[in-house]
Amino acid sequence: MAFLEMIDIVKRFPGVLANDHVNLAVEQGEIHAVMGENGAGKSTLMAILYGLHAPDEGYIRLDGKTEIFRSPIDAIERGVGMVHQSFKLFESLTVWENIVYRREPRRGLFIDAKAAQRQVAELAARYGLPIDPIARVGTLPVGVRQRLEILKALYRHARILILDEPTAVLTPGEAVSLFEVIRNLAVNGCTVLLVTHKLNEVMAVSDRITVLRDGKVTDRLVTAETNPTEIVRAMTGRNVLLQVGKTARPAGEIRLEVKHLVVDGRNRRAVDDVSFALRSGEILGIAGVAGNGQSELVEAIVGLWPTDGGAILVDGKDVTALPIAGRRDAGMSYIAEDRSRTASAGTASAMDNLALGFHRRRPIAVHGLLNLREMRGWARTLIRKFDIRIAGETTPVGTLSGGNLQKIVIARELAHDAPVLIAEQPTRGVDVGAIEFIHAELVAERDRGHAILLVSAELSEIMALSDRIIVMFEGRIVASLTRAEADEATLGLYMAGGRKEAA
Amino acid sequence: MSAFAGLMRTTKLPQWVGSLLPVFWAVIVGFAVCGAIAGTVGLSPLLMLTELIKGAVEGPQIFETVARAVPLVGMALAAAMPLRAGIVNLGTDGQLVLGGCVAAIIALYLPAPDGVRIVLALITGTLVGGAYAALAAAGEIYARVPLLVSTWLMSYPAKGLCGWLVHAPLADPLVAWPSTRRIPLGTRLEHLIPGTPINDGFLLIAFAAILIVFLDRRSSVGYELRLRGLNERFARYGGVAIDRQTFWLMFASGAMAGLIGAVLVLGSQYRFTDGALTAPQYTWSGTLAALLAGGEPLGAIIAAVLFAALQTGGFAMERSVEIPRVLTMVLESIVILFLAMRGAIWRRR
Ligand SMILES: Nc1ncnc2c1ncn2[C@@H]1O[C@H](COP(=O)(O)OP(=O)(O)O)[C@@H](O)[C@H]1O
Ligand SMILES: [Mg+2]
Repeated sequence: MAFLEMIDIVKRFPGVLANDHVNLAVEQGEIHAVMGENGAGKSTLMAILYGLHAPDEGYIRLDGKTEIFRSPIDAIERGVGMVHQSFKLFESLTVWENIVYRREPRRGLFIDAKAAQRQVAELAARYGLPIDPIARVGTLPVGVRQRLEILKALYRHARILILDEPTAVLTPGEAVSLFEVIRNLAVNGCTVLLVTHKLNEVMAVSDRITVLRDGKVTDRLVTAETNPTEIVRAMTGRNVLLQVGKTARPAGEIRLEVKHLVVDGRNRRAVDDVSFALRSGEILGIAGVAGNGQSELVEAIVGLWPTDGGAILVDGKDVTALPIAGRRDAGMSYIAEDRSRTASAGTASAMDNLALGFHRRRPIAVHGLLNLREMRGWARTLIRKFDIRIAGETTPVGTLSGGNLQKIVIARELAHDAPVLIAEQPTRGVDVGAIEFIHAELVAERDRGHAILLVSAELSEIMALSDRIIVMFEGRIVASLTRAEADEATLGLYMAGGRKEAA
Repeated sequence: MSAFAGLMRTTKLPQWVGSLLPVFWAVIVGFAVCGAIAGTVGLSPLLMLTELIKGAVEGPQIFETVARAVPLVGMALAAAMPLRAGIVNLGTDGQLVLGGCVAAIIALYLPAPDGVRIVLALITGTLVGGAYAALAAAGEIYARVPLLVSTWLMSYPAKGLCGWLVHAPLADPLVAWPSTRRIPLGTRLEHLIPGTPINDGFLLIAFAAILIVFLDRRSSVGYELRLRGLNERFARYGGVAIDRQTFWLMFASGAMAGLIGAVLVLGSQYRFTDGALTAPQYTWSGTLAALLAGGEPLGAIIAAVLFAALQTGGFAMERSVEIPRVLTMVLESIVILFLAMRGAIWRRR
């Protein structure tokens, strides 16, 4: 009998069978990956294990004892800890205060701060999680906050740690150190449930894999004996091309030109004298660890953020002084990094979301009035063309999975048929099937002679799609390479701040 | 509640039924609570209810309700328009007063034929109200003065200036209360239905209301407003000119308030009297109606009409059976609280 078992778990939501007789068996000290596309039921299963949802059928057996967790308090009591995708931390408090919260070591009536800090430092050292106990959480980068969440669970004596899509918010570097932490935890006897849909992560750290699709277990695999293709087949139920088919193609004339661009961020110079040219028929990848000025560069190019020097030209026309609408008219479209905050309105229908930018033009608008029938037809066409899984065009898009919402954004932006496309993290948090689709669309766009600026923190994505690659570090371009010159090692070196001369 | 909400979402009722149903429930609950209060102090709940309803709709009272609904709906729309886009105009009071004051001055002093004067009085009142609100918008666009602050504060100089005008230079020496002279018969709005307080202003506001609802649902401009209200960053990302929108939106909102001021002065008060436009608190009830509807114009109109009915019903009830009008205020507050609560419950889902 396994250390932890979830037996015949069934969970229904209105209209959805999220978990359909799921069985999961995990050994102590194992790193067990739970894989599946968005909506497969991974988070639901984990929520049941953590006592956030009660299962409609089935039960949990932990250490030979049958359990039903009524709340996370029960789960924590029995040694189950969970790190959620959005962290639940007090930003104005320090690291140690967050960790010991509600479990403070006391001296009389008072919290024993010294003892608490010492305990936190010991715990951090034991599990190899370097952290400064007295730092304020608000000042910490995402990767460290996650580490703090893990410590919080360990402080509550978690023997089973659930990590739900932990790398979605991390830079590649942070992800690598997270994996080290996970391995360390397993060595120390902690059982880790790693929820993800990223293949390389699973291949890198997990011992065994349970794959879900549409709420059912489709496969149980031993990592050492399987390969990405097999996992993807189990996840999607079909064969997915993991390589992007792309033929060499000469680049055309210059479409977007950025000259000596300077952008001041909130409290520092975010983009410092950046120049490059983007030609039609090419994909120019911008690599770099998140936070090195890529977001500011992109926002300045599209007009969401003011520039502080330099010029931006589209087809030779200076658009630096134009508002967003003017730049879009000049031939720019933009897949924004943050699809739910910037690139869509969650409470608005798919119809409304897909019409933005087309709502003042024929055929959707005639003399300033909307033709609702055209608008609906337009939405239906795009939903069909991009195979967006949605109940109907009047459904609010906030209910969609990441991949489907991203398809809404991409469908709209590609429909502009603009000569310059700016694609910022186009596949972040999107499942494998959708990644394949989005990559194919981007390449098709390039083959149609459009110019694409691709910003991605995923090196594999940059490598798979780009014709040329520039690397940003601390707001500057530190390297500009052709695809042939670039390999992971070289790019990694530049991303870490290595100079051109060093290579 | 969630099952009910689920039903609401899945069944394909026309949109107006959706906006009306919660109001209906709120009123029922409000009546129940007020009836209970009335009962405990020895008043008959049934009597209260029937008197209130009779006072709102029976016989000529229906005209009172309609007459009261005209400014209330107007002010509700003035508040709802910016709210739809997620911004606020807290200065509709000042814009209302400016509109009324300017309309009175034109009707009294412009040397022109009656017909021209009345039209110009309406138009100028509207434009001045709009311009004054647009000034606040310009303050936000060019100097980053938050609308929340500027619209509110700018109400005071507007009211002060108009009050001073009727205290000193334009005062009618024959009346005790500071006001202008009565405007001549020819420049008053005519009664739409003789013998009732309903005048041509009703047509103006009805037309404006229909226009606003139509534009909200069917125009590109309405679409942009709606999207901005749902996610301003998204609207900006898609190329909506936020600042220009703010400016014209505030203009429209202020213009609506100014028009109401002009209609009240030309159609029922026949002079501009210091404080007379703001005393009935149309602004307050209108803003509440708009807030309840979340800026959705049809919902705001329905809520405003309901408030008008409650208020006239309350007055009548007090007069006829000496049930204190305070109870209708309780009723109004409960309806509002319940509607607001419903919003929160539904949003949380
Ligand atoms: N609280 C909920 N209410 C209704 N449906 C839900 C809820 N949580 C998840 N679902 C639905 O259950 C299915 C599985 O979701 P989830 O477990 O989040 O998948 P995953 O984590 O694998 O992406 C999806 O169809 C999702 O829409
Ligand atoms: Mg999930």
